[in-house]
Amino acid sequence: MKLITSIIRPNKVDEVKDALGKLGLSGMTVTEVRGHGKQKGHTAIYRGQEYEVSLLPKMAVEIVVPDGRVDEMVNAISLAARTGEIGDGRVFVMPVHQSYRIRTGELEHD
Amino acid sequence: MRDFVVRRVRRSMLFLAFAVVVVNVWSGSAVILRAATDPPSDPAGIATGDKSAAVDGAGNAFVVSEPTDKADPDYPAKKKAFDEYQAEAMREPLAVKLADSVGHVRIATNAAWTLNTGYLVLFMQAGFALLTCGLVRRKNAAHLMMLNFAAYVFAFLAYYAVGFAFQFGAVAINAAPANIGGTPTLNGFLIGGGQWGFLGGKGFFLSGPAYDAGSNVLTLFQVVFMETAGYIIVGAICERITFWAFILCELFVGAILYPVFGCWVWGGGWMSQLGSTMQLGHGYVDFAGSTVVHAVGGFCAMALAVILGPRTGKYGQDGTPTAFPAHNIVFVVTGTFILLFGWMGFNPGSTLGATDLRIGVVAINTNLAAVAGSATAMVLWYFMFGKPDISMACNGMLAGLVAITAPCAFVGPNAAVMIGIIAGAIVCFGVLFNDRVLKVDDPCGAISVHGFCGWFGAVAVGIFADGTYGAGWNGVGATTYLGVAGKGVTGLLHGDTTQFLLQLGGATLCAVYAFGLTFIVFKAVNAIRSMRVSQEAELEGLDVPEFGMLAYPEDEGLPA
Repeated sequence: MKLITSIIRPNKVDEVKDALGKLGLSGMTVTEVRGHGKQKGHTAIYRGQEYEVSLLPKMAVEIVVPDGRVDEMVNAISLAARTGEIGDGRVFVMPVHQSYRIRTGELEHD
Repeated sequence: MRDFVVRRVRRSMLFLAFAVVVVNVWSGSAVILRAATDPPSDPAGIATGDKSAAVDGAGNAFVVSEPTDKADPDYPAKKKAFDEYQAEAMREPLAVKLADSVGHVRIATNAAWTLNTGYLVLFMQAGFALLTCGLVRRKNAAHLMMLNFAAYVFAFLAYYAVGFAFQFGAVAINAAPANIGGTPTLNGFLIGGGQWGFLGGKGFFLSGPAYDAGSNVLTLFQVVFMETAGYIIVGAICERITFWAFILCELFVGAILYPVFGCWVWGGGWMSQLGSTMQLGHGYVDFAGSTVVHAVGGFCAMALAVILGPRTGKYGQDGTPTAFPAHNIVFVVTGTFILLFGWMGFNPGSTLGATDLRIGVVAINTNLAAVAGSATAMVLWYFMFGKPDISMACNGMLAGLVAITAPCAFVGPNAAVMIGIIAGAIVCFGVLFNDRVLKVDDPCGAISVHGFCGWFGAVAVGIFADGTYGAGWNGVGATTYLGVAGKGVTGLLHGDTTQFLLQLGGATLCAVYAFGLTFIVFKAVNAIRSMRVSQEAELEGLDVPEFGMLAYPEDEGLPA
């Protein structure tokens, strides 16, 4: 099993969710996060005074998938979240050792 | 923990002592301030408004009063008119009885108008609370709302105790509000007298002569005006003042600062009478309070902001200002609209009567200046910074409103638009000037909006007033003025230079008075005990250190 964490634009969450839904994904966790990448935010202006907005709001989408399905999921996320502009985000893939269902206590396998 | 209990007990004792003093003075004042020769007050409102209040649209009375001055060249004609009226009244007693009803209904109509416009002005409190809360940082939102709320509470009590008496205790002498019955019981100066009054002296604790239906209509309308000056200061001193110091500021504004200048201009005091005493136009004219309310509040706020100093981190080592962005623009815009709505009471209500049909012109002028001010601020900001700033667009609307407040009854729609445009420019450059040149930290732009534009509003009367309204204002030119019958308050552009000079001097005096007195008093207070919160509290946000709770509890544990 793999954990796929995607950091995406807030307005792309629905598209990513729909794309993953079409692939038959059953569950996901979405978190509001803040951060910056290479570009380090942007400048804004308030009452004539410029200021830096260095930590921008993003969404983190976490899903757990069987090893064999990682590539198609990452592809689906990338296609759905892409605008081609700076700030589209990142996708991280990590191994998952075990996964338990809390209601039944059962250990899940691939 | 022990310290906490001791502090709390000490606070309770102080409050108790304060309450005892208040009750004692209150019970005594009812006796002391009621001399035997005074006209009786009318708490039930049944004696206010009879045939003497029955007048036509131009103010001609139904009752013809007996002429007393036999040296008057018009005496024979006046005596004849009086005799004819007497004869007709004998023939038609029913008409005279009907006139009693007409007079009472006229006063009642005006009382209803004045009270209802007063309620609109009261609602401006909510607008201002939203506006200023939106403009500050999230971490100070609860503190800011409590300041606005406490401003209403404590300033009201101060105005009830002494403020109203200082301001209007002698209003019947030179400036009787005939539209609401003339308040004949408010007839004594504490300092000064005749046309050189400096401080009213009747109606302390709204007892005795001020326990009167007509007088209380005036009180309600005027107390919400004072509250306006009271909450203006919040915009410039927020995010760094302690609560106790703020309460002192409010008591000072409600009891002394506002009522004294208010007496000079609206209470029949010396500035209003300069037309009769020094032949300066119609005396100092401020229809609804560009200076009496707004400049007093604005320059008081400026003095307090100077004493407190800028917020921590506002200016860098080299003096460059830092932006502290507004935390809720939705509040800012909603609050501004509520203020605009409330202003429909502020200006038209200042006629103190719906029977004065000039209210239509006043309402239109007020709106025109508001939209012209806002448009100017948007356009100017667009050219200076590439985008119109939403908070400055709101400040521009308020600037137009503040500036039209003094001239609203004396100018036409084109002049109102001009006044709005100039005010919109003043507020833009005023905000930048305070921020970058004077380096006076004014989080909400209160000094520019209310101080600078308030000053300009009173001067605008002296420039733009067109003479179509206000014949006989402050007892000047009741029959003719500048050789024209029925000519009212007139400005420089329509031929009255003395009015302009007096407006310029009076508005400047207002600024100097409000800034100077506040600065002296609170520089001393600040020397005794710092009015500023601790550095740690300021960095954390004042909500928890000052009131133990957050505006947004979901922020608990988040970095400020």
